[in-house]
Amino acid sequence: MTTTSEPKTTALIPKARGNAVETQPTRALVPDRDQQPSWVRRRELSGGEGLLAGGLTALVLVLLTVNITGFPMASDDEGTYYAQAWAVATGKGLAHYTYWYDHPPLAWIQLAALSWIPDVFGVGGPAVTAGRVAMIPVVAASLLMVYLICRRLGMGIRTSAIGLLIFGLSPLTITMYREIYLDSFAVAWMLGALALVLSPRRNLWHYTAAGAATAVAVLSKETMLVTLPAVCVALWQNAARSSTRPWAVGGYLSGLVLVGMFYPLYALLRGELFPGPGHVSLIGAWQFQLANRSGTGSVFQAGSGSYDLIQSWLFYDPVILIAGLLATVPALFVRRLRPPAVAAVILVLVAVRPGGYLPAMYVVQILPFFAIVAAGMIDVIARAVPNRQRWWRPALATVAVLLAVMLIGPRWVAGNHRSLTADDNAGYTAAAEYLRTSVPDRAGTTVVVDDVLWLDCVQAGFPEDQVIWFYKLDLDPAVQARLPNGWRDVDYLVSTPALRQDPSSLPLVTALLTNSTLEASFGPADGRIEIRRINKETPSS
Amino acid sequence: MILTSVVLATFAAVTLWWTMHAWRTPETLAATRFAEPDGDHRLTFSLLLPARHEQAVLEHTIQRLLRSTHQGYEIIVIVGHDDPDTAAVAHRAAENAPGRVLVVTDHNEVKNKPRALNTALPYVRGDVVGVFDAEDQVHPHLLEHVDHAFRSTGADVVQGGVQLINFHSSWYSLHNCLEYFFWFRSRLHLHARKGFIPLGGNTVFVRTDVLRTANGWDGTCLAEDCDLGVRLSSRGAKVVVAYEASLVTREETPDSIGSLLKQRTRWNQGFLQVLRKGEWRRLPTFGQRLLARYTLVGPFLQAFSGVAIPIGVAAAIFADLPIGIALATFVPVVPMAANIVFQTVGLRDFGQQYNLKIKPIHYARLILGAFPYALVLSVAALRAVWREYTGRRNWELTAHVGAHLTSSNANAEVGAA
Repeated sequence: MTTTSEPKTTALIPKARGNAVETQPTRALVPDRDQQPSWVRRRELSGGEGLLAGGLTALVLVLLTVNITGFPMASDDEGTYYAQAWAVATGKGLAHYTYWYDHPPLAWIQLAALSWIPDVFGVGGPAVTAGRVAMIPVVAASLLMVYLICRRLGMGIRTSAIGLLIFGLSPLTITMYREIYLDSFAVAWMLGALALVLSPRRNLWHYTAAGAATAVAVLSKETMLVTLPAVCVALWQNAARSSTRPWAVGGYLSGLVLVGMFYPLYALLRGELFPGPGHVSLIGAWQFQLANRSGTGSVFQAGSGSYDLIQSWLFYDPVILIAGLLATVPALFVRRLRPPAVAAVILVLVAVRPGGYLPAMYVVQILPFFAIVAAGMIDVIARAVPNRQRWWRPALATVAVLLAVMLIGPRWVAGNHRSLTADDNAGYTAAAEYLRTSVPDRAGTTVVVDDVLWLDCVQAGFPEDQVIWFYKLDLDPAVQARLPNGWRDVDYLVSTPALRQDPSSLPLVTALLTNSTLEASFGPADGRIEIRRINKETPSS
Repeated sequence: MILTSVVLATFAAVTLWWTMHAWRTPETLAATRFAEPDGDHRLTFSLLLPARHEQAVLEHTIQRLLRSTHQGYEIIVIVGHDDPDTAAVAHRAAENAPGRVLVVTDHNEVKNKPRALNTALPYVRGDVVGVFDAEDQVHPHLLEHVDHAFRSTGADVVQGGVQLINFHSSWYSLHNCLEYFFWFRSRLHLHARKGFIPLGGNTVFVRTDVLRTANGWDGTCLAEDCDLGVRLSSRGAKVVVAYEASLVTREETPDSIGSLLKQRTRWNQGFLQVLRKGEWRRLPTFGQRLLARYTLVGPFLQAFSGVAIPIGVAAAIFADLPIGIALATFVPVVPMAANIVFQTVGLRDFGQQYNLKIKPIHYARLILGAFPYALVLSVAALRAVWREYTGRRNWELTAHVGAHLTSSNANAEVGAA
């Protein structure tokens, strides 16, 4: 039924040579691993390197873990974050009090996910110091990321290992990263983002994941946002001269915005995005923090809060701070070191800005970038050394290592010796024990504590709404509503350095301090922890 | 609700992952292009050109094909016995280019594209059969590149790029253009690598012996191109896809929402038919069969999710759901929004590759039109299901693209694609 109306056909097809199709596959469709450009292979880790980085990380983790509960002294911030993680883990909400958008909650949500670790190892002592064990995997991730970033910045294996060790062995790291700080989570994620945008394969999904990791970092600790330009610089550099740069930027932005939007979305869905009467709000919290937070003075002015803080950091380890600072400036002019240098510069500038608020844990964010930049400059110098004689480089390296060991070694040994042996939390441990065993009728007792002991009190059997974090006594209307007779409804006060720090702004706490008698006292004079019973019968006012 | 969210999010993420295949790394992107030809012309081509009521564009198309730089090819124009206007144009072209152009008349009572192609298959004498549509603008260097691609890769099938160009015509044509861009630029390459590929309707080249062994096209299938691809890949044919912006075959979008809807209904219904035929079950690995099933059902899932996700979000905002569930309904929005971001980048890239000026209004159309376009696709998908299960399997005419086309009989029951 199919015919053609044309009897004729086309003329011979010119140059027809029958059906012999020669097949010579000359083009692989997608390049194999071996066909990656050489600089890609150079920056990918080999198996042996994994062992090296893993081994060094394990070494640092040992130093970090030994005596982790004894040093440094537990701080109120740690207690707050751990109590909030406990609230998440037990399904009570995002905080043990009304969540008021003070920080994005992702860090303590992660902490809650890790909070099974101390239980598994059966760590004793106050809940907070035991909870520090949960930070170990976070630090491990940061250490490995530092090594990976160094390698992906084109540094050699030895100098990358030096970077890891500068970061990991500094007594300042060993001290600060032991504590439960939101910054540790944020740093781990931001380093992850940096490692991902430096992906040697320049894979679109690595860039997208980097965007998501950046968002998680910022949702772990909002101040991490200031290092965003460093990641952007790295992204721009790494995608340079590639056909896929616009896609890389698109992927990064998608990851960043689409994961980051969940936080304001949460507030929006709860009707707490905009300020309004009778409820907390995200924007209200931002306004408060930007406008109402008093500064801690200038870092250059002796006696100011910031100055003292810097002094205390320098006390723990001047080496990493000074080396990092010195290396940052030249590193800005080395193209491949620019991303970490940009991060370091921004963090330093934010710290020294006049009249700013400098929190105690701020240094946590700077340390890894300082370490990377310092190791990077060592790498730059090592490559610049002329190789005229075979013995020239090894000899110089040996001299440098000996010098470093002689100059830095004693300081770091002394600093880390302190963190391995000091027992600064004996007072808290004894106080927690006292509250658990020596206070009668715990179910009917109201106690005011700092946040380090809050969770211990709850776990000791005090009802949750009768364990009051001292700040909330003066600042939370919901808490005051539970105490119709003011301070007279309180039975016990646990007085700690954190509570005594700023008595003038907290009148109810001051009233409790004056109308109470000492029942027990623990710890050394400067870090005294007192259990005080409230004198209800003899009001003084 | 959470489960639905997870399923929708997974689907959207997988689609996004595959859509972005070509841009994963600079190396993958480089591998999607034609290799530089070596200048040797070893193969001979028979280019099939089915034409139906397309006298206005046919001549131009033939003239353009005749400008091809390749040495060995013939053009076989297939016209219907009831279509004297087009036949006249074809015969005139054959007289002007004797030895290059051959006209074959299709006497089938019910006319459609696969039957027309099958009619011409016995007359084919080249090593390779190429298929074009009557309104295609084919680049003169294309055959040379395809020749080289066949020889250098040992392929049985080479699929070249097809691109809708008139993104500025209307809001939906923009989305339509981008769909083609992402499909031929990226997604098809993934299919070729995985060994399961629904071929495109034109600029597709098949070795003649392979095509004859496979008995040509399925005259009853509404998506004969897809069906051929599925049958060939089920038999282990090696398919190579290559995209080069300068070499793509240029086409135009359907001229109205109505014809877009009809065209899309036909494709979707064709996909359903291919799914029901079950040729894909012969694919050797489980992964390939899964990919086949997923691809053939894809348009329906896409249509469903394109509508379900916004509805879920609206519910989350207005229906006062618990906070956890409300947040969960937003999870599928992440890949969906990422898709729009990538489409924006794609639109920019598209403009650069084709030297077209993309204005802010076009970006606005892209973003604002995303949901209406998803609605159109959903209607087409529903319509396809409904037609398939009520047994209406005739070819709906897609009223013809091309501003220069003057007479298209929109009421005709049969027509060329």
